Amino acid sequence: MSITDITVEICGMSGDGTIAAGGLLNDALAEAGFSILAFDSYPAEIRGFGRCITRSRITGTEALALSDRTDVLISLDDKQSLSRIPILRENGAVLFDNHPPAFVPEGESIAAHVGTEMHLFGAPFGDLASGASGSLRGRNLAALGAFASLFGVPAESFHQAIQRKFESKGEAILDANLKCFDAGFEYGLKDLDDGSDGLPKLVGQAGPTEASLLSGNVAIARAALDAGISLYFGYPITPATPIMEYLAKELPKTGGKVVQMEDEIASIGAVLGSFYAGKRAMTATSGPGLALMTELITHGVMAEIPAVILDAQRGGPATGLPTKTEQSDLHAAVYGGPGDSPRIVLAPSNVLECYQFTLKSFQLAEKYQTPVILLTSFYLDNRVETLRLPSRNERDTEDWNVYPDEGSKGNYRRFKITESGISPRALPGAEGFVFTTTGLEHSEKGIPDYGADNHMQMSDKRHRKIAGALRDLAPPQEFLKSEKPALGVISWGPTFGTTLEAVEKAREQGFNVTALKITSLFPYHAEAIGRFMQRCKDILIPELNFQGQLADLIGHLHRKEVIRLNQVTGSPMGVGTILDKIRSIIG
Amino acid sequence: MKEEHFIIIGMGPSGTQAAFTLRKQAPDARITVMSKDAERAFTPHMLPDYIAGKISEEDLYPYDPSTWDELDIHVRRGQRVTDVNPANGYLLLDHREVLRFAGLILAVGGRPQIPEPFLPYQNLMFTLKTVQDAKRWTRKLREVDSVLVIGGDLTSLAVTKAILHLEKRVFFLINKDAFWPLRYDKELMEEFSNRLSERGVEVIPSGRLKSLFREVNGKIGCQIDNRSLQVGMVGAFLGLAPDIRFLTRSGFSMDRGILVDEYLNTGFEGIYATGDCAQVYHPELRDYWVSIGYENAVTLGRIAAFNLAGCRVQAKVSGESIFKVREVNVNTSWWAEF
Repeated sequence: MSITDITVEICGMSGDGTIAAGGLLNDALAEAGFSILAFDSYPAEIRGFGRCITRSRITGTEALALSDRTDVLISLDDKQSLSRIPILRENGAVLFDNHPPAFVPEGESIAAHVGTEMHLFGAPFGDLASGASGSLRGRNLAALGAFASLFGVPAESFHQAIQRKFESKGEAILDANLKCFDAGFEYGLKDLDDGSDGLPKLVGQAGPTEASLLSGNVAIARAALDAGISLYFGYPITPATPIMEYLAKELPKTGGKVVQMEDEIASIGAVLGSFYAGKRAMTATSGPGLALMTELITHGVMAEIPAVILDAQRGGPATGLPTKTEQSDLHAAVYGGPGDSPRIVLAPSNVLECYQFTLKSFQLAEKYQTPVILLTSFYLDNRVETLRLPSRNERDTEDWNVYPDEGSKGNYRRFKITESGISPRALPGAEGFVFTTTGLEHSEKGIPDYGADNHMQMSDKRHRKIAGALRDLAPPQEFLKSEKPALGVISWGPTFGTTLEAVEKAREQGFNVTALKITSLFPYHAEAIGRFMQRCKDILIPELNFQGQLADLIGHLHRKEVIRLNQVTGSPMGVGTILDKIRSIIG
Repeated sequence: MKEEHFIIIGMGPSGTQAAFTLRKQAPDARITVMSKDAERAFTPHMLPDYIAGKISEEDLYPYDPSTWDELDIHVRRGQRVTDVNPANGYLLLDHREVLRFAGLILAVGGRPQIPEPFLPYQNLMFTLKTVQDAKRWTRKLREVDSVLVIGGDLTSLAVTKAILHLEKRVFFLINKDAFWPLRYDKELMEEFSNRLSERGVEVIPSGRLKSLFREVNGKIGCQIDNRSLQVGMVGAFLGLAPDIRFLTRSGFSMDRGILVDEYLNTGFEGIYATGDCAQVYHPELRDYWVSIGYENAVTLGRIAAFNLAGCRVQAKVSGESIFKVREVNVNTSWWAEF
C-alpha cells in the first residue's frame, strides 16, 4: 500500500501562469496514477495584481481533505510566496527562480526566509524558458520541469498533460511549452541532484488507474448532461461560470441549448418555464445571484414548478469575496424568500457527490414539483479530484413527474390536496387537463383563493409534500461509530472531508469521537440526527460561516447547546483546526 | 530587525564555531550563516568513521536542527555567495539577492582538488568532502574488495583505516603534493610508508600515475610507472584548495587562501577569515601559515568571532601535533617550517 502523501503548492502573481501550472501538475500526476485533491485560490481581478495559489494533495489512496501543511512550494513570485512559508513543513522543499531579472534586497527573496531544515532548490525558470522558447511566458513550465526531475516524476506524464492542454492552440504553442518543460527537467537532472536525497519520489508509488481528474463544476455539468437537460440558463458569476462554459460546448451536441440571460432573475424564470413545459433545465449561480432569484424560487414553491438551482457559495455577504470559499448561504437557501416556502436543499460534500446529487436533483424536483437548491461552494466547485464517475444510466433521464390518471380528465385539479401533498401534474396543453398557474394563493384548480381555510390547507399540503421528500433523501451517515462518544462532530459540504480526517486522527490519538455527515439540509432527517446527538455527550459543528448556520438549523435537536466552530477566512477549514477543537473539548 | 548583521560564510567546523561564539559575544546581533551546500552542519573529521560503519549518519550531525533556532542564528543552506563587496558591506548571492552586513567571517573551507595530471581521470576518482560523498563511498565499498588511495593527507590516512576496518585491500600511492602546505621529506616519507605497511597497506611510494581506465569487468585498471593494478575503486586525496574563487573581484589579498593578519583580519574592517581558507600571518616567522584539522578550525573560528565582536585575540600556532590522528603518528616539524 502506498504511503505517498505530498502537498504541493505553486504560488505566483496574476499572470505568472500559476493556475495553469497547477492544472498541468494535477493532470500529469493523475496520469501517473496518483490520487489528487487540489484547490486553487486566486484574486477576483482578471490580471495585473494579486496572489494566485494552487494547492495539490498527491496521495496513493483517496484523500478526504487538503492537508494543513505544504511539503513543496514552487515559487513563481517570491514576494507572493513569502506568505506561504508559515504553512510549509519544517523539512519541506522550496523551488524558486534563482535568477530573477534584477537584484533584490534580502527581504524580498524567498531564499532569505526558508527555515533551517528546509530544502532550497533554485533553477533559473525565466532563463530556461527564454532559452527554450524565446519567451519568458514558459517560466511556469520550466518550473514544472525542474519539479518533475527533482521528485522523479516521469517527463512523459507531463508531456501528455501539456499535449492535452495546448494541442488545440496550435503546434507552435504546444512545442514551445514542451520545450520549456524539458529545459526545466534537464536542468533539474543536471543541477538539482544534491540535497534531494531526503525528498520523497513521486514515481512508481501508485499504479495506473481508470479514474480521471474532475472538478466539482465539471461533475455537476456532466450530471446535468446525463440527466438529459434540454436547456441551461445562466448569468456568469464566480465560481459557477465554468458550468456554463462546459455546457456551452457539450449541450449543443445533445440538441440542447445554453442561453446566457440578462441576469439571474431571467435565468430562474426561464428554468421554471422550461420545467413547466416539461423540459429539464437548470441554472447555476452564487450567493448574489441566489438573492436575485429568491422571489421566483418562491414562485416555484407556490406554483409547484420544478427547478434545479446550483448555488456555488463564495464569501459573502453581497459581492463579498468572489474568489474565496464559504458556507454561508445555508440560511438563504433553506429560508430565503417571502412567506413559508419550503424547498429541497442538498449539499454534496465531494466531487462524486456533486455528480450524484445533481442527477438526483432533477428527479426530486420533478417528483416533488419544487425548486431544488444544490449548495456547493467555491472550494468544492473549483477543486479537482481523481475519481471514476458511475457509468451513465438510462434511468437517469427517466421522467419522475407524477402524472394525473385518465380518470381525472375533464375534472382535473392541478393542486389537488393529497395525503402525500403531491398533486399529479399535467403538462400544459394536455387535452382535458386544463389548469391555471399563479403565484397567488390558489385553490385546487389553481384559481386565486385568499380564503383562510384554503391558505391553511395549501400551506400544509406544500409543507407535507416537502417533508415527505425525506424518504428519497440520503439519511445522515455516521463514520467511525462508537457506543457512547464523548463528542459527535456534525458537518456538511466539503468541510465534512476535513472533519472526517480530523476525527480519524483524533481516534488514533485515543479520543472517543465520531462524525456525522449531513447532505440533506432541507428537509433534514431530524429523528436520525436527534438520535445521533442523544448518543453523544457533546456536539461540535464546524462550518465556514460566522453564524453557525447548520448549528442554527439543527442545534435544537440536542439536549444542550451545540459547540460551534466557525471560520470565515475565505479558505477551507484545516484538519488541524478541527483536531485542536476536538482536543480542547475532550482533552 | 536588529541593527548589526553579522554574516558567516561557511558552515564547517570553523564557521559553526564562529557563529556560536559570536552569539555569545553579541547577544543582540542578527547572525546569518551561509552555506553553499544543502547539507546540515556535520563533523567532517568523522566521515571516515561513518564509512567504516562505526557510526551512523545521524552521528555526523553534532547539532540538533533546533539549535540554530534556539540561538536565533539564521542558517541559509544551499545558497551560494558569488561576490563580496567589503568596502560597501554587502554580498551578492547566486540568486541575485543582496545581503548587507556589518561584519563578515569567511569560513568557506576547501574543496578537494584534482591537480592537472590527474584531471583526465577525475570521473573515476572518489573524493571525500561531504556526507553525500561519504554515502557514495559507502555504497561503492559494498561492491569492491580493493581500493587504490592516492594522497597522503590526514583524510587519506583516516579513510585508509576505515577501508582496512572493512577488510578490504588497500594500495596507497603517496602523492607529495597532497599535503599542501606541508612538503614530505625523505624521512617523513619513510616513516609514513612504514606505518602504513605495518597495517597491511601496500604502499607505492612516489609512483607516477600514467593512466586509469575502467575494465570490462567494471574494475579500475591503474598504470603506475610500469606496474599494472586492478582495483575496485580509486580514492583521491590530493589536498583541499581553499574555496575562494568567488572572492576574485572582492579586493581581498589572496595567495592560495585569504591572507589575514594574526588576528585573522583581512585588512577590511569587520571582515575576518578562518579555517582552511585562511593563510594566517605569523609575526615571528614573518610568513603565513595554514591550519589543518578539526581542532584548529574550531579554534580559529572562535578567535575570528571574538575579534569581530571587538576583542583582540591573536591566533597562535597550535602546539599539538596535528598528525597524531588515531594511532597514525606522523611526527613532523611542520609548524616550524612556517
